[in-house]
Amino acid sequence: MTDSGSSNNSRPGRKGAAGGKAGPLPPTPDAGPNPEAGPTPAAEPGSLFGPDSQFHRFFDDPRWALAVIRATVLEAAHPQVGAALIDNSTFVAHPWRRLRNTLVSLQRMFGPDDHVRQREAARLNRLHARISGADPRNRHYDAMDPEVRAWVVATLFESSVTMCRLSGQPLDQSTMEQLYAEFRAFLVALADEPGHLPPTLPEFWRYYDRMVEDELENTEALRIILYKLFDHLPAPPLLDGVPTVWAAGRALAGPLIGTITVASLPEPFRRRAGLPEVPGAQTLMQSAYAAAGLARFLPDNWIRTENLFDLLYLSPDSDDPRAAALTALRDRIKQAGALLRLATPLTSPFSQQQSVPEQTGPQRSAAEFFTEVLDQTADGYLDWPDLAAMARELSTRLDLDEPEETRLYAAYAEWWRELQAELDADGDGRISKDEYAAAVPSLAGPALIRVAEVLFDVTDADGNESIDADEYRALFRTAFSRTMTAAGPTYSRSAFITDFLSFMSGRRRSTPYDPLLADA
Amino acid sequence: MCPEPRPRDTAVHGLAEGGGVSVGHVRATAGRADEGEPGGRLSPLPQQGPGRGVPRHVACVMDGNGRWAAQRSLPRTSGHTAAEKTVIDVIEAARAAGVEWLSLYAFSTENWRRPSDEVDFLMRLVRRVVRKHAPLLFARGIRCRFLGVADPRIPPPLARDFADLMTLTGQNRGMTLTVAFDHGGRRDIVEAARSLIRSGVPADAVDERHFAAHLPFPDTPDVDLVIRTSGEQRISNFMLWQVAYAEWTFPPVLWPDFRATHFLECLRTYQQRDRRFGGVTPHANGEPHL
Repeated sequence: MTDSGSSNNSRPGRKGAAGGKAGPLPPTPDAGPNPEAGPTPAAEPGSLFGPDSQFHRFFDDPRWALAVIRATVLEAAHPQVGAALIDNSTFVAHPWRRLRNTLVSLQRMFGPDDHVRQREAARLNRLHARISGADPRNRHYDAMDPEVRAWVVATLFESSVTMCRLSGQPLDQSTMEQLYAEFRAFLVALADEPGHLPPTLPEFWRYYDRMVEDELENTEALRIILYKLFDHLPAPPLLDGVPTVWAAGRALAGPLIGTITVASLPEPFRRRAGLPEVPGAQTLMQSAYAAAGLARFLPDNWIRTENLFDLLYLSPDSDDPRAAALTALRDRIKQAGALLRLATPLTSPFSQQQSVPEQTGPQRSAAEFFTEVLDQTADGYLDWPDLAAMARELSTRLDLDEPEETRLYAAYAEWWRELQAELDADGDGRISKDEYAAAVPSLAGPALIRVAEVLFDVTDADGNESIDADEYRALFRTAFSRTMTAAGPTYSRSAFITDFLSFMSGRRRSTPYDPLLADA
Repeated sequence: MCPEPRPRDTAVHGLAEGGGVSVGHVRATAGRADEGEPGGRLSPLPQQGPGRGVPRHVACVMDGNGRWAAQRSLPRTSGHTAAEKTVIDVIEAARAAGVEWLSLYAFSTENWRRPSDEVDFLMRLVRRVVRKHAPLLFARGIRCRFLGVADPRIPPPLARDFADLMTLTGQNRGMTLTVAFDHGGRRDIVEAARSLIRSGVPADAVDERHFAAHLPFPDTPDVDLVIRTSGEQRISNFMLWQVAYAEWTFPPVLWPDFRATHFLECLRTYQQRDRRFGGVTPHANGEPHL
């Protein structure tokens, strides 16, 4: 899985964003400028993409969920990818947001519109260029390393093939070759020099086996994905209000997904990484793949990944027409949750169920704010990658181009320097929860105000010094709240900055900012 | 599960009442001993008396559990345990009789002064009862509410169960059951006053209706009939605002012995009362003159 983000919002006043949801659209006749386009359409590299591609057959396949998890585990087992994920990725604290961004990005990359693809590739490259560092053993990692990116694409391809094999419907040779060509074209679209993925399928399998045998390790990221992520997976926004229902389902599904994924990994790697052999896991894994495969007989729109994700992501405060039905659904789920809790036999009178935190008061404690908002990578410390993740999420939402994206990152970097100077009491380069809690009151420094101003500038796409309804929607994915419309049809610079600062420093819960930065 | 704020309410009281426990003496209500049939075949309430129907809102002060236990030389706690059956019986009877609002006084703000063992026992008992009967209440279409429940001494799991039961039954439109738990009538009024002041209403604009809108559960109608068991005749800080125009009955039966028949007998007594609300014309539904 490439670390990626993108937004669904087509924005007025920004060229090229109109085809944001390109996947299901038919190819447009003038698919944009294509520098190396030959006279015949078949010669275009674009012909490997679009709705007729093999990739699109998989995108809505429920088995693909299992395959993507498996691919992510194999990715994370690569020492460089693993280190990059641990340091920079938000997948532990915000897995749903991360997954959604990845899916939207893949859809753009494999969509029919070349222009959208080029723009998305440029965005991914900018994003990856910001991710580099060193792992605890001081080995360098870099998300732009073409070998690393080739491996990420290789795991996606291999997991798609394996998914078909494991569910008893192996791909025939020519389909497999076409799929491979599509994934290679994906790398080419990212403008990596070719050669890191072997040109032919037989060579690919040799490359893959060698990587599995020699390169992969039992990395920390791998252990987190296998044994921690699914046991602590936060609820998607839809189910956020019903922690008990979510926890009950997760307690059952979490270990199961872990076991199934381990059983589907290549045997040599399992042996070398010391992953457990659970009796019956192979059968369980194959049944799971087969069962997920049966879902293809369901009506088409039931299993459209896109629809599913939109639904999981809908929050009841949104003005989406489905939100009313959703609020009703959520109420039913809450009722079911209440009944479930009441009907659960008591073990001891007053010992259990005390850990469920209630989201009540308008004010968060410093510790809550640290965990829910600031510590985006969920490693217990506030560090540059946490703030970079916020900048990444905001640029993704707003679908920023250069130079706005760099301005936003620069403002966040400035804020980070300010935070570090003020809060890092023990001088270890990062800020612990205690250091943060001790210093909270002095938090709205000039650099944070600068962040608010830059965020206003980049959100105000048409530069008329106020945020109108469309611009607001691009940032928050919802319409103006009622209290705001009372003040007028637009959002002024000073009101925007005041609200942002009261969210970031006053730690006041705020309806629009919470889904933006605190949702899983 | 009964508000006995004064320490002198002890077993002696109950013993003195002796035979008052048995069925059939319910109609010996305070100050009035109307002609009524002996308990028994009472089920469908005939619309007799001075043209009065079933009270819309009935409230019960569940008094006498301790005395009931003492009469049997049992610990006080067993009186509370025995009260569970009565509670379920009364809920069923009220629903069947067409009462729309039923309020039960389960635990007063003054009850915290009881020995901590008894309080702990009550908390456990209430939690068990709530969880045991939640599916039944839900299935019967009863909307459950808990009035009060503000004290931090209430164990969080119990408060959670209260909230769950309210969530579960919130959409029900059958009878509304309000359980007053950690309730004090004066506290509610003080809270309403605070809320009113905070809302910034000018003093002259405040009338009874405005004030009532700041009480907890402002949709609750005035109480029409209060039943206080065990013969005690006190208000004990119970829903002070809402009982302003209520009729009161004081059946001598102790709460654990109180049954559907007694309840229906109380409704009959109510129907034979002539409610005037201080005026001449009886007012339907117990709405005060506003």
